[in-house]
This record gives sequence, structure tokens and C-alpha cells, in this order.
Amino acid sequence: MKDLLRIKSLISTEIEGLLNQQVKKEALSSSIYLSMASWCNRNGYDFSSDYFFKQAEEERHHQLKFYKYILDMGGNAISPEVTGIKQEYNSFREVFEEALDQEISVTQSIKNIYARCMKEQDFVTMEFLNWFLKEQREEEYKARRALELFEVIGEEGTGRWQIDKHVGQIKYDSEA
Amino acid sequence: MITTTTTTTHWTDVFKTSAGAIYQCDTERCWYVDFGGKVAKFDYRCLLKLRKSVYHIDIEQALLNTTKDPDVEIIFICACDHCYVLSLLQIIALKELLEGTFVMLELNHILHERLCSIAS
Repeated sequence: MKDLLRIKSLISTEIEGLLNQQVKKEALSSSIYLSMASWCNRNGYDFSSDYFFKQAEEERHHQLKFYKYILDMGGNAISPEVTGIKQEYNSFREVFEEALDQEISVTQSIKNIYARCMKEQDFVTMEFLNWFLKEQREEEYKARRALELFEVIGEEGTGRWQIDKHVGQIKYDSEA
Repeated sequence: MITTTTTTTHWTDVFKTSAGAIYQCDTERCWYVDFGGKVAKFDYRCLLKLRKSVYHIDIEQALLNTTKDPDVEIIFICACDHCYVLSLLQIIALKELLEGTFVMLELNHILHERLCSIAS
């Protein structure tokens, strides 16, 4: 009896399900960043707003990468429904705290898919995920660095204005 | 596995219960589901959709439901020629049949992988 499941798709149903969950997670991240960009813009933090616009674009790019991979491997990519995006934040700092939480949760989620791939010996998907793991190093670094600015600059006086200015300059260029 | 030969195609038994059976046809790359008084042909996508829609039915909720609605579920699969109108007992039986089938297909996949790794 032919292995028809394998003939039709390179990835297992479980991996396909996890990757579709990740598509949704990336879409959610993108929407959250858009909401953060809006909040920052409305409150006069223009550099941070631009930073979050860029982050939203990046998350959308990640979403499409997962989406196309599922399709290329013969799976069924599901366009996700994204609802319940928080639109208001209590403070400038809270925006960055939540951005870091979001990145940590994305890293964890990719690690979970990786662990499942290892169990199934799905080396093809593992190789695909390597790019995302490296990307998460950058994403988490940037989110952590932004929060660090609140500590080193301080929010008093023109502190928030300074923080906003420096957020736009955060870069990760480690070759490691 | 037991094989059945017909005049035109070769069907392999994938899984059988007292309520029905699922066969695989390698030539047509599809499955034949013998259930509910009919034999229906399903390709890969449709079989996955059938599994998804059957698994999504909340049997426990339906059993606890005390309204006067009939205990009947209509399983309609988008872009598929077949539709099932089943009672709760039939749904349980179809779920069992599909679960067994996918375990067997998974087992077949594992066997193929092992054979490939031995051969290479």
C-alpha cells in the first residue's frame, strides 16, 4: 500500500497544525504592533511609532514565510482570524513591556514547533525554522534594549522624549 | 493487510469496523469510504476535511442536549460530492472508523520510512 499521506504532503498533520498556529501568532503580533504604532503616534512618540510600524511589517513578513512554507510542502495554509487587539495602553513603558512579552511568547512557540520536529525527525522543517530562531535573537534583543532605555535614561523631565528618540536608533548587528 | 481485487482497480483495506470500512486505491490515489449505506470516493484533501468535520462534532454536548431537536448531524464537506446525514450513534461509529484509519495510515507511513532508511 502506497504512503499516500507522504506523497501529498512533506509535513505531518501535527506539524501543519502547529505551523498554522504560528501563522496566526505572527498575524496577531503584526496587529498588536500596529496598535502600538497608533498609540505611540497619538501620544506624540513619533520615533517609537515608526519603530512599531516596522515591527508590524516584519511580523507580517514572518507570517507569509510560514504561510508559503505550508503551501509549498503540500499542506493547507489557513488564513487566520485576528480579533481582540488591545488599543489602549496605560503608559509609554507598558507598550514596550508588552512588546517584549509578545516576542518571548513567539520565541517559545517556535521552540515548541522545533521540539515537535525533532521528535518526528522532520529535519526539513527544522532547517526552515533555523532562520526564525536567529530572527528571534534580534527581535528579543531590540525589545529588551528598548525597555533598558527606560532604566538608563529615566522617565523624569524630558526622559520619555529622549527614550523615544533612542528607540528609533536601536539596531542589532551581532555577527555571532 | 488483506487485499481485495476488483476487475478495474486494486483496493487495500485500511481499516474496518462492524459499521463500515475504508479502502485505499493506489492507482487513483484516493480512499473509498464504505459507510452509512454508500461507498464514497475521497481524495486526500476531502478525507482530511471529513476527519476535521467529524472530530469537531461535540458528541458529549449533543448527548446532554435535552431540547426536542432531532439528534441528527449533517456532515457537508466543501468542494466534495458527498454529504452525510447521521445520527449520534452513526457519528460515533464514523469517528471510530476514521480514527482507526488514520492510525493505520500513520503506521503505514512509519513502515515506509523505516524501509526507506534500511534500503538506503
